[in-house]
Amino acid sequence: MSLVNLAHVCSHLNNATRVRLGITSIPNTLLHLQLCHALQHSGYISSVVRGGPTPPPQHTLLDVPTANDEDKGVEMLTQSNVASQRLWVGLKYWQSQPVLGKMVMVSKPTRRVTIRASELRNVILGADIGYVDGVRSPGESIYLSTDRGIMEARDCVRNKVGGLVLCRVL
Amino acid sequence: MSFARPARCVFCSFSRGVSAGTRVPSRQFHPSPTQFTDRKPRFANFKARDGKTLEELSRNMKPEHFQPYTEKEKTALKEEYTPSQLAAIEAGEAAIDPKDMAEQFALRKDPMRLHYIDDFSTIEPGVDKHVRAPKSNSDYNATLKTDEDFIDDFARFFAELPSEATAADWVRFTETLRLTRGKEENELNPHSALVPDLFSPGESLSGKTKLAEVFETAEESFGRKEEITEAMKRLVQSTGYTPLQIASLSTKVLVSHSVVNQTRLGKVRRMYCLSIAGNGNGLLGIGEAKSEEASDAVTQSKYRAIRNMQPIPRYESRTIFGDVKGKVGAVELRLMTRPPGFGLRCQHLIYEMCRAAGIHDLAARVDRSRNPMNTVKAAYEALMSQRNPEDIARARGRKMVDVRKVYYSGRY
Repeated sequence: MSLVNLAHVCSHLNNATRVRLGITSIPNTLLHLQLCHALQHSGYISSVVRGGPTPPPQHTLLDVPTANDEDKGVEMLTQSNVASQRLWVGLKYWQSQPVLGKMVMVSKPTRRVTIRASELRNVILGADIGYVDGVRSPGESIYLSTDRGIMEARDCVRNKVGGLVLCRVL
Repeated sequence: MSFARPARCVFCSFSRGVSAGTRVPSRQFHPSPTQFTDRKPRFANFKARDGKTLEELSRNMKPEHFQPYTEKEKTALKEEYTPSQLAAIEAGEAAIDPKDMAEQFALRKDPMRLHYIDDFSTIEPGVDKHVRAPKSNSDYNATLKTDEDFIDDFARFFAELPSEATAADWVRFTETLRLTRGKEENELNPHSALVPDLFSPGESLSGKTKLAEVFETAEESFGRKEEITEAMKRLVQSTGYTPLQIASLSTKVLVSHSVVNQTRLGKVRRMYCLSIAGNGNGLLGIGEAKSEEASDAVTQSKYRAIRNMQPIPRYESRTIFGDVKGKVGAVELRLMTRPPGFGLRCQHLIYEMCRAAGIHDLAARVDRSRNPMNTVKAAYEALMSQRNPEDIARARGRKMVDVRKVYYSGRY
């Protein structure tokens, strides 16, 4: 789990939303894929599709590349193309403002921050715990890496699991 | 009881004077008046359990609660209203079924209900849409008078004719005689497809305009002839508020100092003023002005603040939506949402702004520079930069209830 690469992804997504890109790509790793799925589940991004160095073809009706496109399909993963694969992330905008406002790393490569479920509950209620600031603004989320995959902080509290605090989305 | 105290009458023990402590302390070290523990409260004590919410009230409303007026109430009404008005009131009361009344009084629960309670009988300029006068005087139900109507008119004219009638009476009658039935304006000033006049009534080339009716009514309501300045007139025209409403807004000068312009002729000193205006219920504006005269700068900045008033999003009409940041120049500040009863724990400038806007729970932190002018501007920017949870829910495509419950979780 490289937090260096994750930090690069956060910065890249921030830069991409600032220049209002519709679609952008990030390196294809399991961590990034899981985080993107969590973001998509929360509604911050519209689509996540694995593809080559060029953007995958758009869905005929949806105008965005989709992973379950029956018509065009997704490129098969082989040993020869695995190194060049990237994750193509569809970004969302609402009233000319990016939906994915700002991604900030909580853990750093030099300082990994873990949190327990009981403490995480207080973070959700707005209290600052250690290096993790409370969730006080509407539309704010924290993503954690747990033994059940990458989850949103509120889901962690619901399932009573703690973990490594990855990033915060505003 | 101390033995040093003299014996007292038994009945005196019921009076206030027997309390052990002295009634009036001999020395007071503070200017505020002494508070006696047995003093009567100004307002009757009211227990929370005896209270009812609006929702409970409306839910438990039954047709029996809407009874016709009793004799006692009718006599009280008679003092206020004329018999014809009273008859109209009674007819109106009789026309509505108490069952309907009980149903209509309840808070709506259907999906098309509004998500807030509002008084729709008043129009709030800046929030609600402007009310415009009807475009034409047309009365589509107007009809020409019949012969019988004219006969009635003439009969009334002759009946009301004074004993020493002159030709002038006849001329006045013929000039004012109307030919149609319906709205008077429809006949006197009908809608026309022709090009309108260059000047509206009371307007001329010299630019003299008649006082608008608004000012006259305001003067009447004030009960005295208060001088209304040109600036006030323009403010009334541009905002749509009446002078009375403007007087009820809370305005305050927050920053004022003199500024100097260095020209080749010398230094030109002027007063600078920054004011805020708010209605204490979600509207806030800031205005700046410079003038040679200090008083002129104050009024100008206040009027500009009233013109700039904008609705500020408030959570539960008491605090803000989430923590927000503002930055103007070197002033960086953070406004933080707080639970009910927290109060306004912030510096005086932000306190005044919150008070004018009707925010009651808030904490603020001004980092870096604390320049008063930029603090006010940054706080305004921060207040306006709040994100509406409804917009967030729409943007993310997630249900509103989820967002609300999750982000405020019953605590904030």
